[in-house]
Amino acid sequence: MSGRLAPGLVAVAAAAAVPLVAGQHILTALIVALHASYLALAWNVAAGYAGQFSLGHSLFYGIGAYASTMLYLKLGLTPWAGMFAGAAIAGVVGVLLALGVYRYNVRGIFFALVTLGAAEVAKGLADNWDWIKGPVGILLTMKAAPGEFFFLRREPYYYVALAMVVAMLVISLVLERSRLGQHFLAVREDEAAAEASGVDTYRAKTIAIGLSAALTAFAGSFYAQFYLYISPETVFTFEPQLTMMLGTMVGGAGTALGPVLGSVLFSGLGEALRNLPFENTRQVVIGSKLVYAILLIVILIYLPGGLITLGRRRS
Amino acid sequence: MTASRPAHGAGLLAVRGVSKRFGGLQALSNVTFGVGHREIVGIIGPNGAGKTTLFNVITGVYTPDEGDVELRGMKVTGWAPHRICRLGAARTFQIGKPFAALSVLQTVRIGALNRIESMAAATARALEVLELVGLADKREHLGKNLTVIERKRLELARALATGPALLLLDEVAAGLRPNEIQEMITLVRRIAAGGVSVLIIEHVLEAVMRLSARIVVLNYGEVIAEGSPQSLVNDPRVIEAYLGEAYTLA
Repeated sequence: MSGRLAPGLVAVAAAAAVPLVAGQHILTALIVALHASYLALAWNVAAGYAGQFSLGHSLFYGIGAYASTMLYLKLGLTPWAGMFAGAAIAGVVGVLLALGVYRYNVRGIFFALVTLGAAEVAKGLADNWDWIKGPVGILLTMKAAPGEFFFLRREPYYYVALAMVVAMLVISLVLERSRLGQHFLAVREDEAAAEASGVDTYRAKTIAIGLSAALTAFAGSFYAQFYLYISPETVFTFEPQLTMMLGTMVGGAGTALGPVLGSVLFSGLGEALRNLPFENTRQVVIGSKLVYAILLIVILIYLPGGLITLGRRRS
Repeated sequence: MTASRPAHGAGLLAVRGVSKRFGGLQALSNVTFGVGHREIVGIIGPNGAGKTTLFNVITGVYTPDEGDVELRGMKVTGWAPHRICRLGAARTFQIGKPFAALSVLQTVRIGALNRIESMAAATARALEVLELVGLADKREHLGKNLTVIERKRLELARALATGPALLLLDEVAAGLRPNEIQEMITLVRRIAAGGVSVLIIEHVLEAVMRLSARIVVLNYGEVIAEGSPQSLVNDPRVIEAYLGEAYTLA
């Protein structure tokens, strides 16, 4: 562990020094990459370690975004605190959803579909809820108020995003080395054998979803503070879910570094594609989706464990 | 080794009047038997006799339609499998279910975490068990890359690491070569010598006959005979149901 701590610290120090040399445009791209990495790691807790392939994590992302924003606008609560409230709400929603779904032994593809449905329902509710401005969405005003998580420059956002990724990496590594983390792996590999080994699979799966949901919500709050505009169309749709899955699956599910690797790759690719001589935004979107899809298929066929397995000895 | 014991040796496990039906199939009907402390008991019977169903009832995978299962003096009927494992009954699976993407050490450590909170202590315990079953040098291998006997040993190690008072072995010798069967017999004896009671389901009669002090014979979900291995090979009911032409005691 200590032998691997040094390279990690060097990497974090290097990442922390980036704003000294990078311009606002590059910083924005890096923030997007860090945000995607964080999201992938949060989803990875449930999907990668515990094998609970949720397609409904946009639900928790949206809860995070709306909770911190509404608490700020209605109660004046700083989003620094609001994001924890959002995480708590998302965690409770995740636990309740898991308790219900797992109670009826919903597994695999059916679990994926039920969670996808849950996110769709959330989007429908948000679209029709006037108090949160329905489909119009909520615009936050740009200002310099560090105490309320508003900054005019990119650097502070970059450091917040970096801190979130580092925290999420630490959580992943601690989880991997914990009893709970081992229980997650057992559940992922074979539930019957896990039960026969003394693992309470119902409890482990519920904790996995609850924890992953709460962690995902933090990213939603960050999104709101960074882009200053949220709507059901931006946070409750499949888009955030796609970000989590692409990074995790391509980088390596069930590992700590894999999701970061995959997310950075995809974000970089997205940035590169944007700079190609496309005629309009529509072409950029279609073109990049095509490239993502091809890349995903190729990697899942030839490297089912993700890019992270390239660095490992094959056994 | 094969001294006869009183029937229904209870104490550790008591199965009382257990019945289980799947649709039109009466998988178990009114099954009663027991396992005492430090005892090795075998369950034999032809295919479809209800042996694995009985294991599934004892370990909580199925809840019986009628009857009760008592483990260490507690009624465990209807308990979830992990609770039964925690109370002290661990089973292996007939079709080895390794955690395919996990290493041998990780798999056995998950078993060890049943009674041990700390990862370091669980790792140490897992290594001890791997040493016992002869898989210590394979500890970094993935479950999916093991041979048949290695998988059976891994299953045994995973179950044993949970710290059971009663170990339920489902076909640990099936599919093994004669010399491997001998190794497995030696291994089960060594485990039993450590104070663990063993309940074995086995198709390989040689293994179950040599290991068990007492054998329960199932046929069509009913207990048709029970006794020492010697007494059973001469029992006409058993010969008719199962042994028939195939087996003669060496």
